Amino acid sequence: MTEAKIEAKAEARIDPRAIELCVRCGTCRSVCPAFEVLGWESRNTRGRIMVVKALQEGLAPDSDVLDSLNTCTTCGICAAKCPAGANPPVIVQEARRSLVSKGVMTEAQSGFRAKVNESGNTFGEKADRLGWLPDRSSLKDKSDYVYFVGCLDSYRYPEVAKKTFALLKRFGVTLLPDEVCCGSPLVRTGSEASGLVDKNLGQIKKIGAKTVITGCAGCYSALKKDYPPEFEVLSVPEFLAEHLSELDLNRLDITVTYHDPCHLGRHNGIFDPPREVIKAICRLEEMRTSRENARCCGGGGGVRAGYPDLSLEIARRRLLEVPPGVDAIVSCCPLCIRNLRDAGSKIEVIDLVDLVARAIRSR
Amino acid sequence: MDLIDQLRDVVGDRVSAAPSERVCYSSDASQIKGMPDYVVRPISTEEVSKVVTLAAELGVPVTARGAGTGLAGGAVPVKGGIVLDMSGMNRILELDLENLQVIVEPGVVQARLNEVLKPHGFFFPPDPGSSNICTIGGLIANNGSGMRCVKYGTTKSYVLDLEVVLADGRVVRTGSRMLKSAAGYDLTRLFIGSEGTLGIITKAGLRVAPLPKARRLVIASFDDAETAGRAVAKTFASGIVPSACEILDRTTIAVLLRCDSNLVLPEGDVILFEVDGTESSTKESAEEIVQVCSPFATNVVSVSGEKEMEEIWEARRLVGAAVSRIDPKKSRIYVGEDVGVPIKKIPVLIREIGEISERFDLPAMKYGHIGDGNLHVALFIDVLNEDEWARLEAAADAIHRAAIRLGGTVSSEHGVGAARAGYMKMQWGEGTLSVMRAIKRVLDPQGIINPGKLGLDDGPSSGGEG
Repeated sequence: MTEAKIEAKAEARIDPRAIELCVRCGTCRSVCPAFEVLGWESRNTRGRIMVVKALQEGLAPDSDVLDSLNTCTTCGICAAKCPAGANPPVIVQEARRSLVSKGVMTEAQSGFRAKVNESGNTFGEKADRLGWLPDRSSLKDKSDYVYFVGCLDSYRYPEVAKKTFALLKRFGVTLLPDEVCCGSPLVRTGSEASGLVDKNLGQIKKIGAKTVITGCAGCYSALKKDYPPEFEVLSVPEFLAEHLSELDLNRLDITVTYHDPCHLGRHNGIFDPPREVIKAICRLEEMRTSRENARCCGGGGGVRAGYPDLSLEIARRRLLEVPPGVDAIVSCCPLCIRNLRDAGSKIEVIDLVDLVARAIRSR
Repeated sequence: MDLIDQLRDVVGDRVSAAPSERVCYSSDASQIKGMPDYVVRPISTEEVSKVVTLAAELGVPVTARGAGTGLAGGAVPVKGGIVLDMSGMNRILELDLENLQVIVEPGVVQARLNEVLKPHGFFFPPDPGSSNICTIGGLIANNGSGMRCVKYGTTKSYVLDLEVVLADGRVVRTGSRMLKSAAGYDLTRLFIGSEGTLGIITKAGLRVAPLPKARRLVIASFDDAETAGRAVAKTFASGIVPSACEILDRTTIAVLLRCDSNLVLPEGDVILFEVDGTESSTKESAEEIVQVCSPFATNVVSVSGEKEMEEIWEARRLVGAAVSRIDPKKSRIYVGEDVGVPIKKIPVLIREIGEISERFDLPAMKYGHIGDGNLHVALFIDVLNEDEWARLEAAADAIHRAAIRLGGTVSSEHGVGAARAGYMKMQWGEGTLSVMRAIKRVLDPQGIINPGKLGLDDGPSSGGEG
């Protein structure tokens, strides 16, 4: 107990002003997707900030503390709605980091960290990360553009990786020969990711890339915010929107809806490019909440790995917002897509790249 | 058997004694703190009754809590014991619109009730700034109100019936589905505004009102807040009843524009008058207000675009917490924030608050429901500066005393809780307070239901008595 208290005192590193911005008005109660499912005050943003403050004042970091902090998907809707301008996801992430650095973490966190550090991917896969690429001999050693594939598309959705690369290759885009996880899942769950960052960064530099393009919202956020600002980061929807006229798309007689990934939308302000691409192909009908107000899929912040039931319940509630009669739910993040599919979506959930590929193929 | 095990027998895993959970229920949005020993999240009247019965047997305090948005510590368990988080009892049980009423559980969020009512053409008028968050139970327990209460009245005008768990676990009803009744004491009103000190509300029958067909907003700006106050008094004296009448002083306007630079708001000290009714009646009333205010105002405009109006109201609802937007080192501390005076005295109150702000060298943002004499004073400080804390408390005390001296109240809608308990005797006098204490003793002889609130505890009152 005493030891835990001493460790917790070191928490004071988190900027006290960032915490004091919270006036406990409770606005976040009305939007926190984890709280909506779990109901306890410790499972909403206001409660989490109170817990972080209490840790600084000597509260022992027990398993309930970890569950409070770790059930946050870091979706950031609380930050978007906070009248006082607090940024709770940053506080939560910092608190996780501080605890993890002292060895205070759940088994899910430590197991996940070990797996990623050992295998270089979030699945502990030993297989070749570029297994989806039939012929790598044509890969260019030097290029201004690199496509950062990400763990999910590399190992779980290789067809999306293939389609994305097929679209990007014509613009001279190449791949990292030995890509590893971007580090986002580790950073979000409080661990260091410098080994992964260094490994990817070394390759990006060697290729001479000025722009890194990624089709995963989590990778995008990590490359943009957790890597040194030595290259531009573009999301696949941004790249596609920029090159719309060159894609030679055919219109499809379907209606889709679009799910804003939190780490692409709210965290990085990328709302319009995916919509531009969709509207160039077919009709778009928005979900009940969208853009800045979009509900989370429940997958992020380590919640899918650490609290699968909660994660899927949040996804099920997101699915209730799909407008009736649409043919597909489109998104730009494989984690969102996976979670929405696993939550039992009756409507097909596809990547934006799938939609683009159909529009090209139908010609 | 330990109390926690007995509680588990009643509510299963919806009880917690985890230190981190207790921390989260140890305060609301006020500065009052009190650590509960247990947090219980009941989902039925039966569970509440069983928990209270257990607590009564053991003499353990029980404090009900809605969304914890209170600004006076009303839901803070200052004597420990059990916190009943009522937000899980959140079903809308019946829309009985032919009888102009709805039956709800106390954990229903105000805005959700209105979302459900809207397609039927009705609404539940009391609309506090926290309407997206706060629960009906909390609104009733505090007689909460909001921007439109100047026309529609406060929560007490809309409660027809309550189901209440008393301090010994008995369940009683206080009213009926009648829109009026002249049979016996009005126990419904007794529980409204009692801040959970007399029993736990587990169900409520609420009267609803038809939604107006049209709304219109008049935005008038003035050289100073006192002149704005005079314009308001003059408007009311002219026989106009706006559906909202809000003051936003120049600091508040600056904060609002910092939050959203697209808002259509003039500079200066501003009054927002809203009128509702039909297209023609609102047009006529708005024109009248423009006429009355013009001699005082530097600028008066009328707005009728629904989106434009909603954006202004939405921003207004959240402005209380937003002062950090103009200085991130300053935080809003909710003290002295809810005073009210007769509307004729508003200009005097505004002047006195200006003097208090200067005397204690603390910036004060003034906004609120000036139409019913209720002024929200937002004092903001650097919370890491102890000297500012001391000045803050002294300024809040001075504001409360000024309101009482002007024949007003220390709380118009946020409640007394623990934060303002020390002013009850000053505001009411010993005679009235002794009646309140006698009622409390009859209904809660052990003093276990939300103890430490409203200045009801026997013995010498603390602080603020002068």
